[in-house]
Amino acid sequence: MEELDQYINRVKNLPPAPKVLPKLLSLLNDPNSDTSKVVELISFDPGLTANVLQRCNSAFFGAAMPASDIQEAVGRLGFSQVYQVIAAVTGSRTLSPPQKGYGYARGELWKHSVATAVASQRIAECVGEDGTIAFTGGLLHDIGKIILADALEHIYIKLVEETEKNQQSLLETEKKLLGVQHAEIGGRLLAIWKFPADLVASVWFHHQPDSAVTHERIASCVYLGNMIAHFMGFSYGHQAFAFRGRVEALSCLNVSSDQLPHFMIETFEKLETVEALFQLQG
Amino acid sequence: MPAPTLAGFEVRVVVGIADLVVSNNPGAVLTTYSLGSCLGISIYDPVVRVGGLLHIMLPDSTIDSAKAMQKPAMFADTGVPTLFREAYQLQAQKHRMIICVAGGAQVMDTTGFFNIGKRNYEAISNLFRQHNLRIQAEAVGGLVSRSMFLNLSTGEVKLKISGQPTDCVLWKS
Repeated sequence: MEELDQYINRVKNLPPAPKVLPKLLSLLNDPNSDTSKVVELISFDPGLTANVLQRCNSAFFGAAMPASDIQEAVGRLGFSQVYQVIAAVTGSRTLSPPQKGYGYARGELWKHSVATAVASQRIAECVGEDGTIAFTGGLLHDIGKIILADALEHIYIKLVEETEKNQQSLLETEKKLLGVQHAEIGGRLLAIWKFPADLVASVWFHHQPDSAVTHERIASCVYLGNMIAHFMGFSYGHQAFAFRGRVEALSCLNVSSDQLPHFMIETFEKLETVEALFQLQG
Repeated sequence: MPAPTLAGFEVRVVVGIADLVVSNNPGAVLTTYSLGSCLGISIYDPVVRVGGLLHIMLPDSTIDSAKAMQKPAMFADTGVPTLFREAYQLQAQKHRMIICVAGGAQVMDTTGFFNIGKRNYEAISNLFRQHNLRIQAEAVGGLVSRSMFLNLSTGEVKLKISGQPTDCVLWKS
């Protein structure tokens, strides 16, 4: 843990914290919360409010009947849908810039993250886990790559060569070359930002869900969601498939490998409908 | 009828996931990005300069026949026949077809539980074998995601491997 914190503290430019998300997640889980609290929370950030409203209007309402404020959008769409829009806006601020250390161009990590979020949520809902946590975990699962990208930019060729030569996963090569890997850095960062424990675990163990102990099921949802995003081509950088197949993720969720193609079809369909919301074009 | 083009300019026509495009517009480069475990299948008849590019996601349409009706290009067994049929409508002939295949990446997995890329490749290989068709060039499997480009003026097929700066030629006459 200390090693992770030291690494994070040494990074000069941390990605912007999606500060509002952990607070919104706790409101989502609170049966007594009302929409005014949500509106109050996000109104501290006028840019966010305007952006969320604009996306709700373009994705759901159209020009004929636009919502005039967040309160109205929550009333018409429901809290969990508006939460996804807020996650989309705050997540894209963090995840859209190019990450040379992984060979990602601008927007590529974002598309991968959205596809992972959508697939993870679908799997979670199918196995009775919390879809919103899986969605958010999927969206933020590679946030640690933003931290490592600076260090990797200078040794990217070595990372690729070592991965290829030793038949290691990218995760194992990161650990060998840097002493830390992106999943644990991402998980630790989200813990520092006060995200709930199950969400932190789903990111921390998205390549090794069987190590997530009590959170193994939600981590398995994000593990499989990430894999489905890669399968469908939302996958960038060299040696992008250099991660290990974990059968434990299937058995722990009681999902058979025959269900994976169905999850792919459902993710494909969902992505078609949320393109405008997440600004995936281009 | 081919779309009008400006002489000397290439028009990049993007083929999405679970989609296909067939054309005889010599100015077009059919392009499909980031195949992952999906497969890109290109066909080209050099005599009439008709070509097509298909981006399949899954091997077998029997898992969702309604989806296959709506989007035949999603599956190998419905996508490949549709691709050939559309090319025949533009006077392409089966015996002249140059077939290239790319994609089908695989994660590091010895159990076979996550081998969708491999199953995609097996599905189209069987299909071509049944119809006495031969794959001319292929770049399949491995840990890399590929993009595929078919130039309809020359039939040249290029690949770009994700994270690598340059293209490579998969097939040219």
